[in-house]
Amino acid sequence: MLDLLLQTGLNALYSASYISLVAVGLVLIFGVMGIVNFAHGELFMAGAYVVVALYSGFKLPYLLVAAIGLIFVGCLGLLMERTMFRPLRTNPLGGLVASIGFLMILQALASMTFGVRMAFVPPVTQEVIEFSERVRLPVQRLYVILAAFGFLTLLWLFLTKTRFGWALRASAQDPEAAALQGISINQTAKIAMFIGAALAGIAGVLTAPLISVNPHMGHSVIIAAFIVAIVGGVGSLEGAVVASVAYAFVHTFVTTFFDGVIADITGLSLMLIVLIIKPTGLFGTADRA
Amino acid sequence: MNVKTLFKGLSRRSFLGSAASVAGAGALSSSFPGMAIAAEDNVIKIGFLAPLTGPVAAWGKPGLDGCEIWADWVNAAGGINIGGTAHTVEFVGYDNEYDPGKARTGATKLIREDGVSFVMMLGGDTWPGVEPVADKTGMLFSTLLPSDLSPDSETLIAPAEVHPVYNVTGVEWLAKNKPELKTAVMCAQDDALGLPSVATYLAAFEAAGITMQDDPLLFDPATTDFAPVVTRLMSTDPDIICLDTCYSDYVHPICEQLFQQGYKGQIISCTADFYDQIIEKTSKEFMEGFIFQFPDFDDPAMEAEGINFKNANAFFEEFNKRFPGQWGAVSWEYAAIMDLWKAAAETAGSTDPAAVKEAMMAGGKGLHAFGEAEWWGSDLFGIDHALVGDWPVVVIEDGKARIKAMGSIPDWYAANGELLKKHMAAYGQMWDQRT
Amino acid sequence: MRNFLIWLIVAAGLIALPHTLSFSLQEILVFLVINVLLVVSYRLLTLTGEWSLGHVVIMGVGAYTSALMTKRLGVYVPVSMIMGALMAGFVAFLLSFPLFRMKGFYFLIGSFASAEIIRLLWKRFREPFGGPKGLKRIDSLADINIGPIQVDFFEPVAYYYFALIVVAVCLWILWRIEKSLVGLTFHAVHWQDKLAQASGVDLRRYRTLAFVLASSFAGLSGALLAHYIGTINPNSFDVELMVFVLTWAIVGGTATFYGPILGCVVLTLLNEVVLREMGFQQMRPLIYGAIMIGSILFLPDGLESLVKRAMAAWKRRSTPAAEPGKESA
Repeated sequence: MLDLLLQTGLNALYSASYISLVAVGLVLIFGVMGIVNFAHGELFMAGAYVVVALYSGFKLPYLLVAAIGLIFVGCLGLLMERTMFRPLRTNPLGGLVASIGFLMILQALASMTFGVRMAFVPPVTQEVIEFSERVRLPVQRLYVILAAFGFLTLLWLFLTKTRFGWALRASAQDPEAAALQGISINQTAKIAMFIGAALAGIAGVLTAPLISVNPHMGHSVIIAAFIVAIVGGVGSLEGAVVASVAYAFVHTFVTTFFDGVIADITGLSLMLIVLIIKPTGLFGTADRA
Repeated sequence: MNVKTLFKGLSRRSFLGSAASVAGAGALSSSFPGMAIAAEDNVIKIGFLAPLTGPVAAWGKPGLDGCEIWADWVNAAGGINIGGTAHTVEFVGYDNEYDPGKARTGATKLIREDGVSFVMMLGGDTWPGVEPVADKTGMLFSTLLPSDLSPDSETLIAPAEVHPVYNVTGVEWLAKNKPELKTAVMCAQDDALGLPSVATYLAAFEAAGITMQDDPLLFDPATTDFAPVVTRLMSTDPDIICLDTCYSDYVHPICEQLFQQGYKGQIISCTADFYDQIIEKTSKEFMEGFIFQFPDFDDPAMEAEGINFKNANAFFEEFNKRFPGQWGAVSWEYAAIMDLWKAAAETAGSTDPAAVKEAMMAGGKGLHAFGEAEWWGSDLFGIDHALVGDWPVVVIEDGKARIKAMGSIPDWYAANGELLKKHMAAYGQMWDQRT
Repeated sequence: MRNFLIWLIVAAGLIALPHTLSFSLQEILVFLVINVLLVVSYRLLTLTGEWSLGHVVIMGVGAYTSALMTKRLGVYVPVSMIMGALMAGFVAFLLSFPLFRMKGFYFLIGSFASAEIIRLLWKRFREPFGGPKGLKRIDSLADINIGPIQVDFFEPVAYYYFALIVVAVCLWILWRIEKSLVGLTFHAVHWQDKLAQASGVDLRRYRTLAFVLASSFAGLSGALLAHYIGTINPNSFDVELMVFVLTWAIVGGTATFYGPILGCVVLTLLNEVVLREMGFQQMRPLIYGAIMIGSILFLPDGLESLVKRAMAAWKRRSTPAAEPGKESA
């Protein structure tokens, strides 16, 4: 029984890691630009397909592919910012519709280029760390956990220690005041979009060898990310991380001890309960809704 | 204008009018290419009504691809011979996005505007939307999911897949060849494919004297991370882990997790599409002895006497050449249905749906892709419209899937039918239980 | 008088319309009429400034209720449809307690989550909801067979007329609501949140009222759909359809009553008729997505702004002598 609990804990830790990478990006974009990016799950998908194309296809080294994936998806974010979100800055609902359009385009492109069936990604490593016969952590999953930890720490350092990060936080808190301080909204929007998209992309890159890569894989991730963003409190990056961990643990344990459908219902219900008790999420403030 | 003409468009009588009567009403749309209504002489049109985009596209698109190959080959070999004249075949696709309403629209278009002679569907959620159209037009439809069959629809047949009943052959073979394995657990996605399959495996395990150590573990079809599911499956130390009718999107990560969490026992599954990739993700040793139900079509046994799917090896090669990485069960199943339809139409000397159906079902026997079979199903579906016979048991040996035996579904059913009915009823899957 | 004439022409056009269409277009027309009710009811909710992602599931509540009423209790079909609408309104009323504690983005996602819970319950409980396969063989309206008058509601044309009448009545009611004092208060709740509160308007009560009303009409549209296709399942009401409703409303524009209708009609025709007939299969979602982005970029006020501009231009031409002061008034 102890083994089962420990193994489930490890499973939950991995799940928390990739969800938090996706959710933090989503929250960052919403915080700075005020736009609900429905295409965020498809950015995750795009990251996975970079691996399919370059790692499975051209056999490039995985680390190089990861770097390319990060930058490529980040640039997709820049593309979205420049062509859609910037002209629609005063129209958040328009931004939402545009992101839905972008989602459909990315899905269709993936289907047409790579086919509707799942794509193959060979394993990067098959090593497993054995704590005991029944408690095992595959190294590939460890990579995801470490990467999430590393990237989120980097992001935190960037936000708290650099001038750009300071500007970003300022405009996330109050865009108008930030603009009055001489912070360029275009500049911060670009940075937020690049980082947010790149985080989703790297999550896709890292999990690609572990899950089934198909054109519709973004769907289930975005739902988890939305739940997490709300529970954590919109605009709160710390909240997103805390909520990711909480959600992943609840969902994983309920799946293991009951079943997956009940886990989904539990996750959604908990979210509603949090919102009923504190309608702005755990770490959120009222004026950023 | 009197009352009668005012209501002319509202009654069933006008609906039964043939496709020819469409000409007037369809004038508006016939300006588009490919919408021409009157079929050209000597061309037989076959409708393909399945999801081609969206999350379920993997069950439709590769099937249409397979049909294109089938049509090219048949047309090159002189087409279909109806009453002494050669006809070429042409497939008309309609993307129903796995939505019943769009399927209904598509069925109407295919039958009343494109003038098709036969419609192939994936079935499932989309069939109930099409059912009234089938009732009222008398068009012949085929489905890949026999659970769509019911005595209310006389013109729906399931001539290729008898999902999930054939799964019993794998369990039977397992029990006979590895009698030391006594306990099992199972996981399945909670949907229209997963549940009847769960009932079938439960019956098959019970018939084989294998005990279930846990209730079947259901997961949502949107699941991506299978570590928790696998941890739970392994927690009772079973001899056998059964993956039910999981889609390849689940089978791969589940196997990968079983491997990484250190499972060493037997695995049995309905499908194992792209199993070579699973081997690459796990190991040859881990996948050794994996049992499933869908052979590669380059298996030498597919060219044996009694297999009715012609040139299986060449078909497999051609498909992989044209659509690399897209091969799966549905790639050949729709084409296999077309073999049956072609033979029946040539026998009947007509493309009329009723005549073709009669020829196809004459004598209660038919040539299924895997050998001669009988039209069967009253017990489970309320109507004998599923073509059931032998089904291959496929085992992975040394990294290659090989047909190990042909299991007889009717023989199994004759001995264990009551068990199957019991479990199907418990999961609400009998035809008279459907809501 | 001129208005009356215009309405007469519109009515005549709508009555004649199905007879000029091919069979599959007639089918699409039925779905279109039902979706018009859905999207217009959605707009009523958005008047108060809240955007919900649960509207389609609420529509499903109406569909499931009406279908189960006829299947299990043998309720006569049009009656069951009204029960479906009432049930949808009631469920919305219950949901309003948690949901209206939230605003903006929180409301958007909160409504999505609560709707998703309802949808998962349909999936989870085979009794009575039929589980993932849903319900099938749902009765349509009983055939009418009186002497020379024979109506079979399986026929798209017949069901179209039935739905058209129902939807027209509903649209008229929705229109009256919007023009009433209540409707004006909805607008006020949206634009002058604090002010309306200060002047004694109970915001939450009006939000709830708009939510319940909108949901009832959505429920009715769901019931119309269920009894036409004859089958419903949890996936018929998933977030994908919700996204379509949302885009119809926004691409059409929500400032006017006809904006969402315009969006629904234009986008549906584009996706289901034009792109299909041009032979696109896998490209269809791609082009549709691109058009959505284009329309929101170049027509930020929706398709309705085109109509407004056209009408303004027409007015200017037909009354060249109009005083400049009159226009701005």
